[in-house]
Parts: sequence; C-alpha cells; structure tokens
Amino acid sequence: MFDKLKSILEKVDAEYADIRHETKIETRIAFNGKELKEIGGNTTDGYVLRVLDRGGYSSIAFTDLDNQEKAVRTAIENAHLMSRFTEQPITFEKVDIITKEYTPDLAEDPRQISIDEKLALTNKYNDLVLSNDKIATTNINYLELVREKHFANTEGSAIREELVTNRISGLITSRDGNLIQNVRVAAGGSSGFSVLRNREAVFENKSRIATELLRAQPVQGGCYNVVLNQSLGGVFTHEAFGHFSEADIIENNRSMRDKMKLGTRMGCEKVNITDDPTMTGQLGHYRYDDEGVMARRTPLLKEGVLVGRLHSRRTAAAFGELVSGHTVAEDYRYAPIIRMGTIFIEPGDDTFEGLIDKLGSGYYLLDAKGGETSGENFTFGAQYGFVVKNGKIGEMVRDINISGNLYSTLANIIAISDDLKLSETGGCGKGQANIRSCYGTPHILINELIIGGS
Amino acid sequence: MDRLIESAKLHSDAFEIYKLDESRNTIEFEDGKLKDIESTIHAGVALRIIKDRRAGFAYTKNVSNNEALVLNAVDTIKGGVEAPYDFPHTKSVPTLNTYDAAIEDVTNTTIVDECRRINALMTSKVNGQINIDAGTSISGIKIRNSSGANLSTRTSYYAITISILYPESATGIERSLEFKKFEEVDDSFLNNLIDLYNRSEREINTAGGRMKILFMPEAMYTLIWRLQNAVSGESLYHGQSPLAGKLNTDIFSKQLSIIDNPIDDSRPGARAFDDEGVPCKELVIVDKGTLTNYYYDLFYAAKMKAKPNGRGFKTLRWNDDRISVKPVPTLTSLSIEPGATGFEQLIGSMQRGIIVCGALGAHSGNIPNGDFSIGLSPGLYVEGGQIVGRIKDAMIAGNIYSIMNRVIDIEDSLHPAYTGYYPAVLFDDINVATKS
Repeated sequence: MFDKLKSILEKVDAEYADIRHETKIETRIAFNGKELKEIGGNTTDGYVLRVLDRGGYSSIAFTDLDNQEKAVRTAIENAHLMSRFTEQPITFEKVDIITKEYTPDLAEDPRQISIDEKLALTNKYNDLVLSNDKIATTNINYLELVREKHFANTEGSAIREELVTNRISGLITSRDGNLIQNVRVAAGGSSGFSVLRNREAVFENKSRIATELLRAQPVQGGCYNVVLNQSLGGVFTHEAFGHFSEADIIENNRSMRDKMKLGTRMGCEKVNITDDPTMTGQLGHYRYDDEGVMARRTPLLKEGVLVGRLHSRRTAAAFGELVSGHTVAEDYRYAPIIRMGTIFIEPGDDTFEGLIDKLGSGYYLLDAKGGETSGENFTFGAQYGFVVKNGKIGEMVRDINISGNLYSTLANIIAISDDLKLSETGGCGKGQANIRSCYGTPHILINELIIGGS
Repeated sequence: MDRLIESAKLHSDAFEIYKLDESRNTIEFEDGKLKDIESTIHAGVALRIIKDRRAGFAYTKNVSNNEALVLNAVDTIKGGVEAPYDFPHTKSVPTLNTYDAAIEDVTNTTIVDECRRINALMTSKVNGQINIDAGTSISGIKIRNSSGANLSTRTSYYAITISILYPESATGIERSLEFKKFEEVDDSFLNNLIDLYNRSEREINTAGGRMKILFMPEAMYTLIWRLQNAVSGESLYHGQSPLAGKLNTDIFSKQLSIIDNPIDDSRPGARAFDDEGVPCKELVIVDKGTLTNYYYDLFYAAKMKAKPNGRGFKTLRWNDDRISVKPVPTLTSLSIEPGATGFEQLIGSMQRGIIVCGALGAHSGNIPNGDFSIGLSPGLYVEGGQIVGRIKDAMIAGNIYSIMNRVIDIEDSLHPAYTGYYPAVLFDDINVATKS
C-alpha cells in the first residue's frame, strides 16, 4: 500500500503533500423492538490527498484510483486558488518524520468473534429491556468499526495504524397511554470485545429508569444551581469548553480568539481540563493522528487558567503554538479536522455526597442526551434528574435541557468530586462524525444554569 | 451493471441495485478570509436481495468488484432479517427538471469571487463578522430491480449560507439560498439580512415568562422533527407515535397546512422516485390542522398493510453516506403553506415576544412525545412591535401538540432551511426561561 501511496505523491508537484488510504470495515446488527432489522458487514475504502503549495492548501477525497490524476490536478488548482486570496501564506508546523505501525492491544479482537455470538449478545440485552412490560420499543444496535489506515507524506513519514471500536447502544422507549419517554443506553469502547460482555446491569438499569420517567414530573423552567453527573459533565466539557480549545473553530473569529488567549483566567482554581488521546484502553485512544503527528497529552485549563489548545500542523504554525496531534477524520471520505480525543475535568477533592450537601436546593441531573454549541452558548439535554431539597435527593424529573454561556458557566463551577468517569461511547458531529470522541468528569456543582421547561 | 445483475439473479429471488456517483466542492470564508476549499469525488453501489422472504444488504465503493458485493449480500441473508415487501415494478415516473448543465462550468474561482463580493458589500454595513459557506454538487442515482424498474436521475445543486456574527460572540443571523445552478445573491436578500442584524445587535437582559414566539424558518426544524417522527410508518409500527389512529382528526391550528412534495422541481433536489424506485407524489401531511397522511417506505408499508407512498430514502440524521444505509421512511421536501402577512407586520403585531432565529439542542428533547426545550441562538427580543435587541441566556420549551394549536399568524413567503421550505410562524403563549 505504501508503494501505491508514494506513486500518487510523486505525481504531486507541490511543496508538500500527504495521502491517507483507509479501509473501513463495518459490522452492524440492529434490533427495532423484537425485530432484527439489520445484520452484516461491509468493507469499503478510499483516499484523501492534501496539498500545500505557494502558501495555499486544499484537500480532495476520492474512492476510485482511476480518478487519481483528476484528484491531484484539482487539489493543486484549489491550493493555488487559496494562495491567491490568503493574507498570511499557509504553512505547516515542523514535526518528526515517523515510519511506524501501531495496533492497540485489545481484550478480545471483535474480528475474531463470530457474527452469531455478536447477534446473541445484542439479542440478549435487547430481550432484557423488552421483558419490562412498560417498554414500548427499543432500537438496540451492535456497531463494530475497524479503520485500517495507511498515511504517507512527501517528508518521508509512512504510518500504519488500526483503530477498532465496538459498542452495543441505542434507545429505550417507554409508554403509558399518550406519554412517551426514552433514555439512551450504551456499553462499548476501543479496548476490545470483552468490554461488551456481562453488561446486563447497564441495560436493566436504563430499562428501569425509562419506566420510572413515566411517573416523573416535567422539570420547572428557570435558573438553578445543579450537580451534573459524569456523563452530563462530560458533555458540558466537550460541548461548551472543548470545541473552543479546537484552534480551527476560533482561528478566524476575532472575539473568540481574543477571549481564548493562553493565560486567560476562565474558571476557579479547582478546574483543570485536559485532553489526552494517549490513554490506552479509553475510547478516544490513538497514537498518530490523520496528518501523521504523534498524539500528546494536552493540558488545556490549569487551575482555571487557559494553558493549551488542540492543533493541526496548519493551526499550530498560524498560532505559533505547539502541535498536539489532534487532527482526525471520520474515515476515507474526509480530510482530517481538529478533534478532541479524550477530554476530561480532572478529579477534585470533594465527594459526591459533599456536592449534594453543598448544593442544598436545586437539581441533580444525569446522563447526556445530546448537546450543541453555537459560539460560546451551549444547550444539552439530560436523560433524567432529581429534585434536591435541603441536601436530600428527592423525586425524579424529566424533559430536561440546560443552556448556558461557556464563560459564565466555567466561572460558576464551584465544586468537583473525586469520582472521574470517562464515556464508553461517544459521538461528535463537528462536520464529520467521531464515534471515538471520549469525555468525562467527576460530579460537578455549577451555580446558575438555565433549565428550559414549560 | 449487467454483470452485477446476472450475478444477483443467480443468488436471489429478487434484487435491487442502487448506484450513486457524486462530486462536491465546498468553499468556506470566515471573517473575509478564504479558509478552506474541499473537493470530493465518490461513487458506490448498494445491493439489496431477497431470498425466501429474507433480506440481504451489502454496499461497496469499489464498483468493479461485483462478485464480492453479491456474496456479501448473500452472507447477510443468514441473519434472517425479514423482507415482507417486493421491489416495485415502476415503469414510468414524471420527468423533472433537476439538472442544469450550467453547473458544470462553475469554477471554484467563480464562487470565491462571489463570496468576496458579498463580503465586501456587507462589511461596510455591519460591525459583525461575515462568514460564508458555498458549494456545488452534482449527483447521479441509478436504480434497477428484478421487477423491471430501470430509473435514473441527475441533480445539480448550488447553495450558499451567509452569517453575520454579533461582536464578542460566535452567534449571529444566518440565512441560506439554494439553486440548481450558480446564481449571484441579489442585494435585497443581503440587505434584509443586514437590517435584521443591525436591529438586533444590542444584548438585552429581560425577565422570562410566557410570551409570543416567532419561529424563523431556520429554527422550524425543531417543531418539524417531532411531527416527522410522529407520522412516520416506523414510529407507528413500533408504538411510539402519539398520532397513531388520529388520521382525519384535528391536531394543529386550522392555519397550518404541512406538505411534502418531492416532485416540485422549482426547488433543487426534486425527486420523481424514492431510493427504492417507488414514484413520488405530493403528500399532504396536515391539511388546515387536520392530520391527513402518514408516510412509508416499502418495509413499513408492508408491516402496516399500507400502500408505500414513495418516502423510502437512504438518509440518516447523522450519516450522509447514502450508499451505506438502507432506505427508511423520510420526508425530503417539506413545506408549511405560507400565510398572508408580511414579516415586518408579524413583528409589528408582537407587543412582547421573541424571534427564534436559531435553535440549540433541538435534537436532545423528548422527540417522540413532541416536547422541545431549546437554547436561543440567537433570540431577538421584541417590545412594542419593534426588535430592540437580542436576548441573553434564554431557553424556550413546549410541546408541539400544544403550541401548534396556538398559531397567531404565518408569514407570506417561504425560505429554504434545514429539512424544508418554511415561512416564519408566530405562536402564542410559550414559556421562556432566563437568568433575570
């Protein structure tokens, strides 16, 4: 494969070029209620060529090698077009030349497990949920995704890496008359198939919560102090803070770039946020990113002060900061963009019970139900929550969405517990999907969050 | 394709071949700077087969390896996925004007020049930062099946989205246009955008409570997603639709009519047949507040003993790789029938209220139940019939089966937005939560 990639690179008359070939092997099993809706696997592949020349940069994705001449020509033309209108010529930060292969250790390689066994396990968890008579239906899916990547560039790097992800996840829907409720359920990771075994408790727990939500009251809209659990705190960290640590998000936004200057105080001294794709066994682990840079642990917020940023080679050069190895593509259909790997708030010195006690009155909110940012504003959903009165957790509430502003919310994190937990499944939709986007926090206490409600 | 057909025939009782080729160019301007030019040239084939009423499915981007594709589809039959449908015997479909050859001559230089022109014009009139995304795509679909359908369509598309960001913020006013070929954006469109921005630049803190809410077309998908979910054959079959058994009953205000019309080729992306080869036609979902139709693909039509109505499309909300997914019930060309009131008159009729120009978190509420709870990004604050600024830190929440019965008025024109073409719609009595 490297010979093939190098032969394409030889056709590129430019200062720099790189090419990535990926084979993507997907296995999917899908249940909708009791019915099996999908089972099987597919293998596809394609190429992404990137060109840097005369201060301009461009990329092209193609699937058919017969299109390679056209792809090379188009990428060069577009790079030259870019160069005509770029105020500052684009350059790439210098990085080490790497010629390595990396295959992460797996506790059971899912490729060695039969499709029958995968079906049986998915079916078992699905049946477990459906055995609850208040559950109207399920969408429970097995997904296994293997990316076999070959990367080469004109500087001499040649890297092969495999990324293997598997999960059993989906939606559980409960119903009582006209009232319909749902919760998400997930088990998985990038550490091998064994993470999916013996997870009955996860599915039983979420099935129980889905039915309890039928008796819960809708949350009352307003401004409240809240404790977020690890999943919800993780989505907050990813959505509200993490995206603004991605240099490509802020590079051309004057005000955001000003607000996100390194050295700026953004939170209280208790808040430390780090992104670390190098943590083996975690969902977000990889060794080399999709522009051939070795991933590195990147502290972002230290004692409340902004100390780092996630970069591509291009943005590292433009910002004059260190390259971090965070440039990742969904698959062969896309040029890589800057993504979080494993982002988390580091553990504090409080306990969960201590946080509830400090909260006094407010809400304890649990488990993420999707989130979105627009600029410094964010909104994300919680699957369920509890009223907290006088430091005691009370009745369950439903229909919870939270909204806030990054800067005021970070400043309002007043306590952090010691129980960090990272997500087993992820999904970030910044232009491309990233199912290995991993996040987590300990429990966190935040003052003055807006909760929408009728 | 003939060799693939022969191979599929050998291994199945029935087959369907779906072939897609697509090329795209996207150009991104941020703050007047050309940020990125990306191109894509992709092709692929998906194969569905039926054997003994069991379904097999496979796809590939390596279009020359027919045998492997067929064997892969055959292999999936062993799983036992039910196929209660037959592939349609579609002989003829309406001829639609979906492709304008002029798109072939549009260069990235032309689009870059247009973005620069717009940026120069707007920069002199607003304080905010201008961002522009523009791009072209050309796609071709061919469907052949064992029932004799042999269909093809070619689509050309040019779209441009212009945003003006508020100072000290990354939130702003945004609007899109789409065409079948490259067209310059006219000045009146840009001036309307500039005017809306300039009137809303001031940030305002105000108390929450129940008030009038004007949903702009760009935020309408918040409500439409919940309706789409409820009238889908998939939701009906799985017992998760609050609209099951409610055909011909009044569900919304009589002012609301909601239509899906894929064969309207005055808009780009029209389709004469769906991704299963079933002919498309206009489908009225809500007629003057009355629920009139559900929508189906082949699978759920068979399950619900209904007639398929050409709504099986290879789309998933978070997956744009059409080759890799099977068709599911989908509404592709929705619109809300416009009213008779101009946009400015709508604003003038609001004593106190909010204009929702963008929604945050529309996907994260309880969609099957019709509930929504969204951040405003941005929400423009109206007092005494005038936009007086944009509201800081606010959310609105409600349920579509309640608020869509409280329509006050509807704008007299349609605008392209995510999921369809919509007017602005003014609703009464929606709860707003703020920090104040």
